[in-house]
Amino acid sequence: MASSTTITQLKKPERSLSPWQIARRKFVRNKLAMISSFFIVLVTLMSISAPFLAPVLSPLPDISKVNISAMNIEPNGEHLLGTDKSGRDVLTRLFYGGRISLLVGFSATLIVITLGTVVGALAGFFGGFIDSILMRFTDFVLNFPFLVFVIVLNTILYGIVDGLWVLIMVIGALSWGGVARLVRSKVLAEKENEYILAALSIGCSPFKVITKHLLPNVISTIIVQGTLIFATMIVIESALSYLGFGVPQATPSWGNMLSSANEPDVLQGKPWIWMPPAIIITLTILSINFIGEGLKDALNPKSLR
Amino acid sequence: MLKYSIRRLLGMIPMLILISIVVFSLAKLMPGDSLSGEIDPLNTNPEYIAEMREKLGYNDPLPVQYFNWITGFVQGDFGKSTRFQIPVFDLILEKLPNTLLLGVTALIITYIMAFIMGMYSGRRPYTLGDNAIAGFNYVMLAIPSFVAAVFAIYIFAFQLNWFPFAGSVDILVEEGSFEYYISRMHHVLLPAIVLGAMSTASYTQFLRNDIIENSRKDFVRTARAKGTPMKKIYNVHILRNSIIPLVTFLGFDFAALIGGAIITETIFTYPGIGQLFLESVTSRDFPTLMALTMLLSFLTLFGNLLADILYGVVDPRIRLD
Repeated sequence: MASSTTITQLKKPERSLSPWQIARRKFVRNKLAMISSFFIVLVTLMSISAPFLAPVLSPLPDISKVNISAMNIEPNGEHLLGTDKSGRDVLTRLFYGGRISLLVGFSATLIVITLGTVVGALAGFFGGFIDSILMRFTDFVLNFPFLVFVIVLNTILYGIVDGLWVLIMVIGALSWGGVARLVRSKVLAEKENEYILAALSIGCSPFKVITKHLLPNVISTIIVQGTLIFATMIVIESALSYLGFGVPQATPSWGNMLSSANEPDVLQGKPWIWMPPAIIITLTILSINFIGEGLKDALNPKSLR
Repeated sequence: MLKYSIRRLLGMIPMLILISIVVFSLAKLMPGDSLSGEIDPLNTNPEYIAEMREKLGYNDPLPVQYFNWITGFVQGDFGKSTRFQIPVFDLILEKLPNTLLLGVTALIITYIMAFIMGMYSGRRPYTLGDNAIAGFNYVMLAIPSFVAAVFAIYIFAFQLNWFPFAGSVDILVEEGSFEYYISRMHHVLLPAIVLGAMSTASYTQFLRNDIIENSRKDFVRTARAKGTPMKKIYNVHILRNSIIPLVTFLGFDFAALIGGAIITETIFTYPGIGQLFLESVTSRDFPTLMALTMLLSFLTLFGNLLADILYGVVDPRIRLD
């Protein structure tokens, strides 16, 4: 009786932290990453609640309407960030633009990560013929001049499908090469371990080995890569929209808003129109990168902090 | 080495053929005739158009059309621009020097900045200066190039009036004169700084880490024991070993500069290949578009190949075959 209680008492403090708990502790201690996460959450919340926030914060909550009477107003108490050349409230458009930019970035990242992981895991696990076929294909995709093909493809598909999803699909379909290579190299290293051999020898199907044994061990790399790709995708969306080949002009996105800086007159004399999107893009990208670095640090069991 | 290079060069051919098929299909998928630069747009007589279409081979089966296009392409006949009514080859030749000037200037700026910062950080790692340089590079890496370009124009061209904000040369200066070249350099400098400063981060960090690593090696200890001044050890002994791997970055930069040029040239309205490409998309100038896409794909492929080969050249420990 007495001995069993001592055993239970001993067991409790022995329970050590799970790898995820350790990672979370490390991440929370990283100030820069925490501030960045806070900022990203704030931007996301603002974007999501744009339809509710807009009527409260501005007198012109309708972003699709052109207001001739309210063109090019400098920031004042009524229009906190002023209005653009079509008389639309900049702050309202910034909120709505965030919806589009974040949506495009997130969806494209999802496509890239999914495609890259599937291709990389299959190539790495099976090796041989499947590996060389898949990797040839990956090389092929990687060797395209990315921007050139995105622009051409986007122009072709423009009228056929809804503009936003064309963009998401095109940039997603053309940028998974790097992830595929990364996942393949990780899987190649991981599959040499004995637990994989053990799993195979007790009769696990390849599908089960990949999903249950291999992927959990490479997931931290994929998460970190996914964060950094999220930032890249937002940059690509805004760059393409800036050039006029991204999200349709009528839909506000941060890149579309920034494209008004193409006119020397706006760029020189009306900085309130293009500066807010420029600043918010930069801050978002920086924050996501800081989060990515923080995650990399937190998920790396060898890092000291 | 030579054998490997030749094999890789030959390996590029199937890739190029595949890309050419993709480019051709894309051009065919775009609305409008992709090769209609030869037809006089003012003559709307349907018989004339039908006759010209037949003569130019638009009614041929697609594989035949592809074959005709690619044979002409290999022989340097890129077709005629529908927008400018001049051969695409001449059009590209006219804009290419501008892009090359921009690319080379940007590369030089990258190298100079990365050298100064990398050598400083490598010599004094974990100091305030090193951290400041790392922070600067991090921010430059994170800021999208077009945002940086917009800010650069606003600050340096409009507020401070240091640089012109558009074009590649003043209209008033006479071509070939001394002022002409000065004006061209003046125009190229701001876009080149923006394009160049973006890619310093990888060079700087690489040089820094390599210098730190090398400074712990035996040959450095020997040199110190012999009484060689620290300055000489860093500037001669270590730098020589650390520079070589940097060469490999050149190939990757090639590809990165192409993408960068499209954006930067458009923002600075700098008449180069990138701007020509975007204009050919908006104005449906298919011969130009196809030729440029092929050219840019080829350059990307070539850059990646160059990186791989240089990798083996500078580090004989890497076995390529």
